[in-house]
Amino acid sequence: MRRTLLPATIVTLFVVAIQLDILSSLRFAGTVIMLVWLWPVAMGLAGFTSLALYVALLGGVLVDTHSTTPFGLTAIVGLLLAYCASLLGREGVGDLDSAAYWVTPVLAAVAGFAAPPIYVFGGVFVFNFDLWRGSVASMMVVNAVAFLVLARIVTRAARAVASVGERVRR
Amino acid sequence: MATDRSRRRALTLGATLTVVVVALYASGGVFSGLRTAANAVVSPFTWSVNEVARPIGHFFAGAVNYGDVVAQNQKLRYELGKAQQQENETWSFQRQLEQITTQLDVPFVGSLPTVTAQITTLSPTSFAATVDIDKGRDQGLLAGMPVVANGGLVGSIVSTTPNGATVRLISDTRSVVGVTFGKGTTPLVVSGRGVNNGLFATSVPLSTSLTPGTLLATDGLDGGLFPAGLPVARVSTVTLTPGAATYNLTLRPTADLRHLSYVDVVLWEPST
Repeated sequence: MRRTLLPATIVTLFVVAIQLDILSSLRFAGTVIMLVWLWPVAMGLAGFTSLALYVALLGGVLVDTHSTTPFGLTAIVGLLLAYCASLLGREGVGDLDSAAYWVTPVLAAVAGFAAPPIYVFGGVFVFNFDLWRGSVASMMVVNAVAFLVLARIVTRAARAVASVGERVRR
Repeated sequence: MATDRSRRRALTLGATLTVVVVALYASGGVFSGLRTAANAVVSPFTWSVNEVARPIGHFFAGAVNYGDVVAQNQKLRYELGKAQQQENETWSFQRQLEQITTQLDVPFVGSLPTVTAQITTLSPTSFAATVDIDKGRDQGLLAGMPVVANGGLVGSIVSTTPNGATVRLISDTRSVVGVTFGKGTTPLVVSGRGVNNGLFATSVPLSTSLTPGTLLATDGLDGGLFPAGLPVARVSTVTLTPGAATYNLTLRPTADLRHLSYVDVVLWEPST
C-alpha cells in the first residue's frame, strides 16, 4: 500500500485537475460528471480497498476546498462509494478479467446513479436543506451513463496505478 | 487483498480525518489557509491538464463551430458599435443623474468603483452554482461584494484568496437577494433553484401588480447585502394556487449566467 501511495496521489491530483478544469466546463444537461467519485469506485472494484478509501478522501477534500457546498461532503460520499465498491471488488465481483464484461460498468453506473441522492441526503446532516433544489434527477442519469461508459477505462487505470507499486516492491 | 479488519480500520481513519478537516473548517479562518494550500497543490496539475486539453478543445470547437464564431463575432462588433454610440449619448444624462442621486444620498452603483475580473473556473460539482475569478484580496476584493455582468446582478463574493475569489451566483440554491420593483414599495425575496433552473420568489402579496416581464432590482435596504438598483431578474410566470393568499413567481435572471466570461466586482461592502 505504501509503495502505491505516491502514484495514486499523483493520479488523484490529475483526476482533481481534470474535474476542476475540464469537467466543470464540459456539462451535460447542465450536470458535471463526478470523476472524483468514479476514481475511488474503480479502485474499489479493482480490489484495492485502502487505496480506494485514500483516493476518495484526498480527491474529495481537494474538490471540497474549491466548492461552496458543505465541506467534506464530497469526500464522505466518495468514501462510502469506495467502501461499498471494495466489498464487491474483494469478492472479485468487479474484476475486469474474471467477471462478465458488463459487470464493472453496471456496478459503476449504479454508484453514479446513487451518489447524487446520497450527497443530498448527507447535506441534511450538516443542516443544508437546499441541495435537493438542484437537478438531482439529471445528475443521477448523467453520472450513471458517464460511469457506465468510463468504468472499464478507469478501472484499468486503477489497476495500472496499483501495479506500479507492486513492480517497485519486486 | 485487504482483510475486513484492515478495511474497517482504513474506513474509520478516513472518516476520522474527514471529521477533523470539517471541524477545522467549522472553526473559521483555517479554511482560507486550507483553500490556499489546496490551490497551491492542485494548480500545477490543473495547469498541465489545461495546457494539454485546451488546444485539443479549441481545435475541435473551432472545427465544429467556425460558422457560429464568425457570426457571433460580427454580432458582437455590431453591438459594440451600438453600445459606444449609446454611451456617447447617455454620458451627459449619466452625469446629471449622478449629481441628483448624490444630493439625495441614494447609493447608485454607477458611482461605485468596480474591478473587472475574468472567470477562471466553474463550480466543480453540480450542487453549487459558483464561479472562480482571477482577482482577489490583493486587488481589494472582499467577501460580500456584489458582482455584476451581462446586464444585471450575477452574485456575490463568498470567499477570497490573495489572487482569486469565488462568486456565488444568484441561481445557487443558497442565494437570497432582497429585491423590489416599480416604485419600490414592496420588498420581495428572490432565491436560486440550482444551476439551470433560474430563480423563484414565493409569498408575494396578492395586492402587488406583477406581470410577466416586470423587472426586479435590488432594494438596497439598510443592512442589505446589495446596493440599490441592480437589475436582478424579470418575471417569467406568475402562479396563483387556488385558495392561497400569495403568488409564487418564477424568474429569469437579467444577466446571462450561462455565458459568463468577464464580470465586474462592485467595490461595495454590505456593512457600508
